[in-house]
Amino acid sequence: MDEADLRLDGNHVAGLLAEVFQFDMTVEWSGCAACGARNQLGALQVYAHGMGAVMCCPGCGQTQLRVARGGGRWWLDLRGMAWLQLDEGARLPD
Amino acid sequence: MAGYVSRGFRGRRRAGDGEAGRLPPGQYAEPGFPVLTAGPTPRVDLATWRLRVDGLVATPREWTWEEVQALPRSTFEGDIHCVTRWSKLGTSFAGVSVDVLLDQAEPLPQATHVVASCHGGYTTNLPLEDVRGGKAWVVWEHEGQPLPPEHGGPARLLVPHLYFWKSAKWLMALRLLDHDRPGFWEGLGYHNRGDPWREERYWGD
Amino acid sequence: MGRLSWRLARVAEVRPETSRVASLALEVPGWVGHLAGQHVDLRLTAEDGYQAERSYSIASAPDGRRVELTVERLDDGEVSPYLAGEVREGDQFELRGPIGGYFVWEPGIGGPLLLVAGGSGVVPLMAMLRHRAASGSQVPTRLLYSSRTLEDVIFREELERLAAAGDRLTVTHTLTRAQPPGWRGYARRVDAVMLEEVGWRPEERPLAYVCGPTRLVEAVAGDLVALGHDPARVRTERFGPTGVQ
Repeated sequence: MDEADLRLDGNHVAGLLAEVFQFDMTVEWSGCAACGARNQLGALQVYAHGMGAVMCCPGCGQTQLRVARGGGRWWLDLRGMAWLQLDEGARLPD
Repeated sequence: MAGYVSRGFRGRRRAGDGEAGRLPPGQYAEPGFPVLTAGPTPRVDLATWRLRVDGLVATPREWTWEEVQALPRSTFEGDIHCVTRWSKLGTSFAGVSVDVLLDQAEPLPQATHVVASCHGGYTTNLPLEDVRGGKAWVVWEHEGQPLPPEHGGPARLLVPHLYFWKSAKWLMALRLLDHDRPGFWEGLGYHNRGDPWREERYWGD
Repeated sequence: MGRLSWRLARVAEVRPETSRVASLALEVPGWVGHLAGQHVDLRLTAEDGYQAERSYSIASAPDGRRVELTVERLDDGEVSPYLAGEVREGDQFELRGPIGGYFVWEPGIGGPLLLVAGGSGVVPLMAMLRHRAASGSQVPTRLLYSSRTLEDVIFREELERLAAAGDRLTVTHTLTRAQPPGWRGYARRVDAVMLEEVGWRPEERPLAYVCGPTRLVEAVAGDLVALGHDPARVRTERFGPTGVQ
């Protein structure tokens, strides 16, 4: 087994991201800071380490988002995203 | 994060007799060896593999695979603890003691910290004292077999007295500094030092 | 689409599908419905406080009543042997969702559709097919479904019925490990040749949904793009190494 088997899609962290953003983030769009590609987060490649998750650009492999959760907090590193677009229509109702 | 206790659910983990005292707080005994990945597994060619020790040292050193294999062999037998709460008890790794590497590189007096950097970009930081005095190794064997790529092969750092994220996979270099520099997880909310016996999992623990 | 808070689901029915697969019909208070392809997160807590979380695709069509999950029991699994082995009617566990609007299909999205499933990857695609049938959609759809043996095919009779309904759905199986006597269908892993024979031509601009073990999904997605399909019209849901989330 190698990491090729462990790669997942953005869907895998939909619940985790929804905790933070209160949006269904898999349908939201990001711009890759490295190559400029536009993708819905559902299309990003995910490595779901037990300590957190890493979302990578499907085109160039750039890490777009890192997220860790623990001790009642979330931490986010979005340096790999040039921009993140949230659509009012994807906000999760209370 | 208390939840609803579901009838009949126990999970996979087993805690054997006599193991409770060996488990740091909040850990359970895991017979397997889970693979935790934060990115693609680097593929490293042994012919071009190098291990560097540099930074605040008198003699920056670099070893090839053959050279590092020729160093005095050292084995660790004991327990490892992952911050995701599994502990693997009674396992073994073999390689070379970091003390041997540091003896050859000769740390300067002002060196206080070390940053491990790895193929694939992973980094972790430690106080220099946490890798000296028989507490750390660079290892390439696990339980008698070559360390598989998914577990950090060809070689990884091993610092078993701290949470296992400090035992950086796919090790490339140890750089000695006179200041601290948080690594991959330390910069994302995890504890800077990570002592499992004091349950130092996250910032502020 | 629904609150992201943990709710207590109650098992209303457990139904074996194959020797390793069971469907659970769940009653979820406050359930507001879902889209075909979405999933739920489950959280199981043991008596000593140990917790495990997993995601499972919803198998049922979005008719707003019960939520059905279809779970394959993995030999070395931690949660799947509980869900597809231990769980019985009346049991409860925490559930959150539905979530995941990316890997979703409903008739308004159109087609033609190419659905490619490996093992339990058929589950979210089955929700799409059930929704398609319930809404009377005639969107031309082709399901290519890879299983180890005929006994491992999940929803086999229901797929036969859906394919016989004459509403432009075809179902093609490939059995990779063993085939029954007289089997004249595919008997190998999904490859580019099979995708070309079974699927649509790139000019027909199909929408492809590929779900199953990561290796199968990546191979199929790569093959589809190599065959000339638009990568933006190929959606994937990787299940990881063992074929189940």
